Amino acid sequence: MTKLKHFLITLSLFLINLPLWAQAQQRFPKPEFETGYVQPPTTTPDPRALFLEYLDVFVLIAALAIVSWLALKKRSRSGIFWMSVFSLLYFGFYREGCICSIGAIQNVALAIADPTYVLPLSALLFFIIPLAVALFFGRTFCAGVCPLGAIQDLVAFRPIELPKWLQKVLGLIPYLYLALAILYVVTKSDFIICRYDPFVGIFRFDAEFQMLLLGGLFLLVGVFVARPYCRFFCPYGVLLGWMSTFSKKHLTITPSACIQCKLCANSCPFGAIEEPTPAGSNRKQDVKRFMVYLLFIPLWIGLGGLSGSMLHVPLSKMNKTVYLANELVENPELINDQEHIDVVTFMQSGKSMDELVIEAKQIQSQFYWGGWIMGAFMGLVIGLTLVKLSSHRSRQDYETDKTNCLSCGRCMDYCPVKVNDKMLIMSKK
Amino acid sequence: MTIPTKDKINIAKTIAWIASGFSIIICVMLIANYLQFKSVDPLESDALNTLVERLHDTPRDEALKEDIRALDLLIRKAYFTSQWQIRIGAYLLVFGIIIFILAIRYQNSLKSKLDELEGIEKNPFLDKQLARKWVVYVGAGLVVLALLSGFLSYNALDTYEPELIADSAVTPETTQPDQEVVVNEPGTESAEAQTAPIVENEVREQQESTTTETSQSETKTEQEQKTQPVEKPLSGTASKIVSQEELNKNYPFFRGALTNGIAFQTNIPETWDGANGENILWKIKPPKHGYNSPIIWGDKLFITGADEEARQVYCYNKNTGDLIWQVNADNIPGSPATMPQTTDDTGLAAPSVATNGQAVFAIFGSGDLISLDMDGKRLWAKNLGVPDNHYGHSSSLIIYKDKLIVQYDTNKGGKVFAFNTSTGEKAWEKVRTGVRISWASPVLIDSGEGAQLILSAEPLVISYNPDTGEKLWEVDCMMGEVGPSVGYADGIAYAANEYATLAAIDVKTGETIWEESEYLPEVSSPLAADGLLIIATSYGVIACYDAKDGTKYWEQECDDGFYGSPMLADGKVYIIDMSGKTHIFKLAKEYQLVAEPELGEKAACTPAFSDGKIYLRGFENLYCIGK
Amino acid sequence: MSNKEKNKSNRREFIQKGMRLSLGLSIAGVAGISALRVNADDYVWQLDPFKCVSCGRCADHCVVSPSAVKCVHAYALCGYCDLCGGYLKPNANELSTAAENQLCPTAAIKRKFVEEPYFEYEIIEDLCFGCAKCVAGCTAFGNGSLHLQVRHNLCVNCNECSIARVCPADAFERVPASQPYLIKGDFTAGDDHA
Repeated sequence: MTKLKHFLITLSLFLINLPLWAQAQQRFPKPEFETGYVQPPTTTPDPRALFLEYLDVFVLIAALAIVSWLALKKRSRSGIFWMSVFSLLYFGFYREGCICSIGAIQNVALAIADPTYVLPLSALLFFIIPLAVALFFGRTFCAGVCPLGAIQDLVAFRPIELPKWLQKVLGLIPYLYLALAILYVVTKSDFIICRYDPFVGIFRFDAEFQMLLLGGLFLLVGVFVARPYCRFFCPYGVLLGWMSTFSKKHLTITPSACIQCKLCANSCPFGAIEEPTPAGSNRKQDVKRFMVYLLFIPLWIGLGGLSGSMLHVPLSKMNKTVYLANELVENPELINDQEHIDVVTFMQSGKSMDELVIEAKQIQSQFYWGGWIMGAFMGLVIGLTLVKLSSHRSRQDYETDKTNCLSCGRCMDYCPVKVNDKMLIMSKK
Repeated sequence: MTIPTKDKINIAKTIAWIASGFSIIICVMLIANYLQFKSVDPLESDALNTLVERLHDTPRDEALKEDIRALDLLIRKAYFTSQWQIRIGAYLLVFGIIIFILAIRYQNSLKSKLDELEGIEKNPFLDKQLARKWVVYVGAGLVVLALLSGFLSYNALDTYEPELIADSAVTPETTQPDQEVVVNEPGTESAEAQTAPIVENEVREQQESTTTETSQSETKTEQEQKTQPVEKPLSGTASKIVSQEELNKNYPFFRGALTNGIAFQTNIPETWDGANGENILWKIKPPKHGYNSPIIWGDKLFITGADEEARQVYCYNKNTGDLIWQVNADNIPGSPATMPQTTDDTGLAAPSVATNGQAVFAIFGSGDLISLDMDGKRLWAKNLGVPDNHYGHSSSLIIYKDKLIVQYDTNKGGKVFAFNTSTGEKAWEKVRTGVRISWASPVLIDSGEGAQLILSAEPLVISYNPDTGEKLWEVDCMMGEVGPSVGYADGIAYAANEYATLAAIDVKTGETIWEESEYLPEVSSPLAADGLLIIATSYGVIACYDAKDGTKYWEQECDDGFYGSPMLADGKVYIIDMSGKTHIFKLAKEYQLVAEPELGEKAACTPAFSDGKIYLRGFENLYCIGK
Repeated sequence: MSNKEKNKSNRREFIQKGMRLSLGLSIAGVAGISALRVNADDYVWQLDPFKCVSCGRCADHCVVSPSAVKCVHAYALCGYCDLCGGYLKPNANELSTAAENQLCPTAAIKRKFVEEPYFEYEIIEDLCFGCAKCVAGCTAFGNGSLHLQVRHNLCVNCNECSIARVCPADAFERVPASQPYLIKGDFTAGDDHA
């Protein structure tokens, strides 16, 4: 009897084992239902369709083209404004802030650093296209395509002008942010740009309380200091600024010759209009100062690199593995803590403490060398900023500062010279 | 009809004010809601938990049940309402802000055509000069800050000493130098030992057959050793490697000295009766319960027992049954405050202890591993991490040379450790990737080409080099919850588990020679010897196969199932069924029952033999049976 | 325009052009290098249920609330047990649907009688918030057919998943959007599904 029963059990088990999923033995074999019960399927709602991702790319290209046209050809501030509202709605509220060119920096950096990382083509396109456009037409991306810029632009009711020194000092932050973001990505620690994106929570109607608070704060500050994130934080703005500085064409205040009416002088909320400056009085002294600052650049690089490398210990604590290793080494009693999820999981993972510490030390050494590079980069940035501040270029007209101009087109409205006049002048010639 | 611009501005202003007021109110409400939501996690209500706790004490209290249901509903409602409120609030806030922005923008557009910034005094030269100054200040400040925080930051990782944590508690005063042991001519039927210059060493060698042939060379080896300079360790923890012969004389591991179910003791009793005391020399009740089997060295017999309160190791006089010492395995760093959940048929003391005559090693379901000397003095102890095991950890310990082997397969991954027996230092450790949880015990064999450590788990049977932990081969043949350890004889390892298969694996190549699945054990391990293979199932069938080709010779149905493993002693197989009846039969191609003595209580242990006596552990009592 | 000024502006033009060219080349270079790793498919987040330790962080750390990680039921693996470790509290008073016996804090599991002695368990996703209590229960005492997974209709597919950042078991990974789910039963542990 028992044998028969055993045979039946074995037989039924073999039958159940036939399907592929049953590679692994289960504790409770699936019953054979007698009532004709049909097992419901496990639902798997599809992710967003792939063609929609490429639609985003298309919208990006189209929006860039339109904004560039509006800024350079049509010279319509209101057109750019409405495009930015559209982008805010599409890339901001509809796409919920993801995918975005600013964050794409990290994907591209990780793809270069980590051979196993797969980079979605759409992310690469989002990174490349605005940069390429900036190389030809200036930062039109900032003007009317970036949703983060758009939301700040909307609330810039009472912009005040910041003193130049403050602008320059705060202007160093984006470089630091960019360097840190790449450092954390390359060490596979974190995507800090996405993590500390102040507006993505607003786009999603949902975020951690602190992040929403930060977003609100940025908007509040943005009422008085126009586009604070774009000017003083955005790491992508750094790259766009480089491109824009040497752009082939760029938005101009006036469609033809400046008539020195000074109407535009106070129009730019971003401090991106260069005023006419007379030729320097003491050229010899200028050159000397310029050379001194130029010679100081290597010193800045060295100092920066050294201090960056010194920072590797505190910086590396953002890394999960390093943090856990630190915690366990400092508080060995934690391994008894059944409430500490990370420790418990680590203890169960089968990894030994030695392995963990070795891994953490490897990451720390990445931070050490990354710190050198990051610090040297920051040193170079400071050095070059100083060089630029000590060079003197005489200028007769009001011109845009191509690096920092966001191509928003506000100044165009102030310029009394219109395209028609330009035609007039041309025809008169 | 046209409204004057001034009125329009006023209207816009009013709207802006109202919208901003509205937004601020919503904002405050949202923050309040958020704080309330965060301060009391609605889904971890203490009140509810208390009520449920109370229900455990009074399971029939209908009124209490109603209270719980009402409170549960209330809490869930509050949770979902709160979520709904936050969402609606967010929409309202955005709506308010949009109105505000529109009103302000409209107002601005009415006021003047273009608005201007409040200009500040500008002087290109002075501005640049000031900017340079500040950039230098800030740059220098950043450098100083970075250097300072770099100097002040403390890298805890630099202070780390390997394995500081695991061994922090009990390390012996002296650590032994690394044992360098070379096995000469492994696999031949003679054991020869080479000794390390400083410490007296004896090589333990795996052997699968008789000891008689080796006795000669053994005495020779011992004589050689006496000429070696001997230095006793200061701490008194001897670390010599015990010879196989000495192990064979005793009963040091689960399933005997060879860990394959073969005992070298003779003159074993065949009849007894627990009820009327026939041939029962002594019977005692250990203080705490445990399913581990007795282990014997010299005159000492070791078992463990455990419950929620304490984990204990007991040492008995094997001749009298007197308790010589008992030791609590407590104050072990990493040991959990509350014991992991185990089932009643496994418990916290399922693994059997192991001894090498110098120290006793015990492991418990809490992951606590302890080493005691033969007088019960603690040598070292550590916690291996609480095993995630839904029945309870049950893999027994074995010793290879100077290494204590621990198979540690849990739901969260498997590992195998080798600890230095005298210091507890990790000799090696391997993560067993690809295997799931298992309840089997490790088995040491000698393939003829060197020692192998064979571990069985779902889905792999893996052989390791016990010296280094290097993987020698693996066979994918197991399924389900593997309980039986492998059996071994004559170059073939036998792995089996219920619902999986019985596989005969050539240990030299790792190839499966034959497979069978008619009778499969659930817990009991296979026994192979003299060209025969014995399988005992949990539904009460004993089957005998040809060890070489898997031909079935006989099968015998018994009334009760088997959890204990068969032991071969004196040409007879001893196996105890769950009712406590021991089945003694000849190891032969026909089933020849010798006797079926009753213990008189349930049992799941494997018998231990020593000096013509058999030691059995029932669910309650420990028995010494002799003529 | 004087000659000198003309020279100056020519020189500036030249520098501008050179810089533009080199910047353009560096964009192309970056694009070229990263193009080696490019895949035209999109990538979405999933968690490997065999790595998951049911710590409960999925409930608290998702950027959307309630979390986009929900419990899913791989019916193919379910034992349809009456005594379900995922549905009932440990030491439950009785095997019933009463609130005092249910493990799920939001009562998101529906227990339906199929036939003696089998019960079907269905997840009501609107109520589930990914606390993994049932997952822990089912994994410890049952077949592990209840497990957590990122639901793509809810997930906003952040560039870096904020749960992945805190996941103690490193269970989160990106999978191609063309094969968007790691549901237990469709693959086994250790499969190369990256």
